[in-house]
Parts: sequence; structure tokens; C-alpha cells
Amino acid sequence: MTPRLPGKLVHLPLISTWGFQYIIRSQVPIRTFGIRSLNPPETSRFNVGHDLPVLKSTPTAALERKANTLPLRTGAIATKKGMTAIYDTETGKRVPCTVLQLDRVEVVSHKTRQKHGYYAVQLGSGWRKPANLTKSLLGHFTANGISPKRHVYEFRVKDESGLLPVGQMVNADWFQEGQYVDARSNSKGKGFAGVMKRHGFGGQDRSHGVSLTHRSLGSAGPSQGGGSRVYPGKKMAGNMGNEQNTVQNLKILKVDSENGIVVVNGSVSGPRGCVVRIQDAIKKPWPEDMSPSSS
Amino acid sequence: MASSSPILRQLGCFRSLLKPQPQPQPLLQSPLNRRALSTVYSTRPTPKPLPENLPEQFIKQLPLHLRPKDPKVRRPIPPPPPSPCTKCKDPVAAVEEAQLAVLDPTGERRALFDYRRSPRSVKPGDIVRVTFKNGDPFNGVCLSIRLRGLDTSFLLRNHLTRVGVEMAIKVYSPNVESVEIVQRAQKRKRRARLFYMRDPKHDMGTVENIVTNYIRQKRALSGKKRAPVKGRK
Repeated sequence: MTPRLPGKLVHLPLISTWGFQYIIRSQVPIRTFGIRSLNPPETSRFNVGHDLPVLKSTPTAALERKANTLPLRTGAIATKKGMTAIYDTETGKRVPCTVLQLDRVEVVSHKTRQKHGYYAVQLGSGWRKPANLTKSLLGHFTANGISPKRHVYEFRVKDESGLLPVGQMVNADWFQEGQYVDARSNSKGKGFAGVMKRHGFGGQDRSHGVSLTHRSLGSAGPSQGGGSRVYPGKKMAGNMGNEQNTVQNLKILKVDSENGIVVVNGSVSGPRGCVVRIQDAIKKPWPEDMSPSSS
Repeated sequence: MASSSPILRQLGCFRSLLKPQPQPQPLLQSPLNRRALSTVYSTRPTPKPLPENLPEQFIKQLPLHLRPKDPKVRRPIPPPPPSPCTKCKDPVAAVEEAQLAVLDPTGERRALFDYRRSPRSVKPGDIVRVTFKNGDPFNGVCLSIRLRGLDTSFLLRNHLTRVGVEMAIKVYSPNVESVEIVQRAQKRKRRARLFYMRDPKHDMGTVENIVTNYIRQKRALSGKKRAPVKGRK
């Protein structure tokens, strides 16, 4: 950025904190601009040392807190194809299941602690016409040598050992039969819904003098003395559904890497054809065999 | 006596204009606003080329049009890899077929209930006897057949201890050991779902007598003394 010089040069010789300063690093002076504190924080000479505990409000401590609930390896982007059932031939039990399909899931890029503050694998799936992409997004794909992707999502991992190489394909055999996953997807949209449907309110009487407000909420808040206002977060009518929902601990019943099919136990939020992100379940032990799939 | 004519007196208001005005002194003499005579009459200096090998930290200080431009790179757009979706358009059907290949390898069950295609199949109104893996049989009139691929099921109705009992049975369930047609409907039913048979007027009552007759005949034909009973003591 070019410096903003004052219009009149008379002001220049005045020493001002808003002007630029010279910081001399390795012989070549670098000019820096911007607002800086008049009282920079003083470092305490007692608070420095490698064996001191990490302060709780630092990014390092935040990552440490999160370490136990972050998966060791990336997940995958899938499409919900529909529901069916699988019979257990031994017990004769019928297990309802959801069929998911992986479509050309590839690693697009990484997020690293050094640059972005956390570790994550950016995956893309499907294919999109290059003409329908913005130039910046197209450049993002082509710089990494990836064909343009329809869906791009990030999957957080614990550390850099979970970062797959860019361009690697994630197939259905990335998951093993019998392991548990969390499925994340947007629920079915219900449009503008009233309070009875959206929040399960009881509604009002059919009769006893109630007119025209049989399905509406009662009072929205206390009267004078109680604040005489509507508190933030009051449950009201509004848009329902189409929110992200995570279904945890779904068992993987079947994997077909040739057709990219992953069959999970039970139901997954959202309509048929929606994008589902599946990753190792955080509330179950991590899968033992973590060999990367052959691309 | 008038000293000056009334016309001149009226023009007196313009007197202030005739007074010599004090020159307004510029408060700030900016060096940018002044141009020396030599610069005005000299030729415009040709812009000097930028010094080569300018250190990187100085490039930011240059105006935008002077900064060296990044070379334009046209990277090829990689073609998409082959998609499994084109190979398998309907994964739900694929999963169901794989299940059916295990549960019904000969296609016998399918033929027994596909009443739209196979004439030998169970039809609504038939009396059916189902034996389960654990040995319990269930007999009843078939009220309806629900064709839903792997989830195909049929509804049987009977009376047990004079209480109406209905049971929906999944055709492909591994718990179902055998399905026998005990008696065909006398006349072709004109409805696909015979829910009217729940009404007392049309209720068939118990079918136990018909089934025991059938079992007796079957035993006589096969020449066995007693039908083997599984899982019971």
C-alpha cells in the first residue's frame, strides 16, 4: 500500500504516531504503516520460559483442548442416494440403512497450523463445468492440478500426519465395514413454519373464546416489571429445516469401492441427493487400520 | 448648497472598489504549488527506468502501474477422472440386488409373490401357511401383498382364540422358512387389498380347520406318520 501523505507538506516534519516508521531488519529498512498502540504491552521477565504452562486463551491451548475430539484422518464427501434395508442372515434381523455414493472425491488443498491456524484437508467431489466457475476458484483447482469440483468441503484433522497428499483420491474403501462414522448434512427444508411445528408448542384452545389464534404462540414475553420486552432467542415462527445436522455413530454396513457405495446404518438428514459429509466418529475409538486407499 | 451632484452621491457606494486592496498573503507557501521559471521553460524530464534487482521490500512502495507484473500463467484444466456414478446409476437398486442374491438366490420367493407377473403366485384371498425359522407356523388369509423390492411383504389375517390377528410378514426375511398356499381363493378377488374382510360381515373367521385338513392330506401323500415339529418340546 502506498502511504497516505498529508495534503500539506508542512505537517510532515511534525513527529506523529500516525505516520510511518522505519523498522530495520537485516540492514534493509522496511517501512511499516498503520495504527499501533501508544503503550505496547511490556513483556514480563518472569513470564518467559519454555517450561511455563501454555496460557488458556492462546491458539496453542485451543488446539490442545480440541485434540481429543479431532479425527486423525480425513472424511469424505458423499451423496445421499436413498434408503433400503439389509438383512442379517444369521439373526434374521432387518437393519434399515442409507446408501451413500462417493463421486471422484479428491484432495484439493490443505489448511495448516502455520498458515491458517489449524489442520484440515480440503476435499472436492463431483465435476463442474469450468465455464461455470469463477476465475479465482478455477485457478485454485488448476494450481493444484485438480479438475474443477462441484462440492468443496474441509475436514479437520488432528495434526499434519492426517494431511493426505494433494490430488489423492478418496475412495469408498477409505472406510471399513463395521467402523463408525458421523454423517453431517443439511436437513430437509420446511419453509416458514409456525411455532407448533417448529418448536412443538401446544397451541391454543379450539374454543373457550379463542378466535383466530388456534395455532399461534401465547405471550412473547413478560410485561412491565419483567423487562417489558421480548428476550433474545425467543422461539417464534420462522424458517424451519435446511440446517446442518450431524448424526453421530453410524455403523458402516457395506462398502463397495468399485461403485463408490458406502452403506451406513440408520438414517441421515436431508433429502435424496443431498451432500453428506462422513468422517470417523469422534465418540468411538478411531479405526485401527488406517492405510490410505489406493488411488 | 450641494457639494456634489446627486448622481455622483449615488455612485459613492462603489468607492470601496476603487480603494487599493491589500494583497492576500498565502498562509502556507507550499513548495508544490510554486513552479520555478526554469522548470516551466525546460523540457519534461524523461522518466528514468527503475533500477534493476530492486529488493523485494521496496516493490510495495512503488505505485501500482510501476510494479513488475506477475507473468500470466495459463494452466491447463485437468480432465475429470472417471466417475463411479456413470457406472452405477442407481446404487440403492445395486445394494438391494446384492441382498436378494443372498436371500433369494433361485428367485423362488420373488416368483411366489410377484402377483402381477407370475400366475403361480400368492394372490389376495388365498389361505397361506408360513413357517418360521424358530418353528412357529402362522396361517391366515392373505389380505394384501405389498411389492417394494427387498421390503416386499404380505398381510395375513386369522382368528386365534376368537380374536382377530393380523401379521405382516416380510417375504425375503431369513426368518421365514417356507410359505405354502393352502387353498386358493374360490373366485378371483376384484380388489388388490381385501381390508373389507376385517368387517364382521365379511370376516372369514379362523382358518385352522382348512389348514389342519391340508396338513393331514399332505402327510397322507408323503406317507409320513407325523410332521416333524421344529424347536418344540
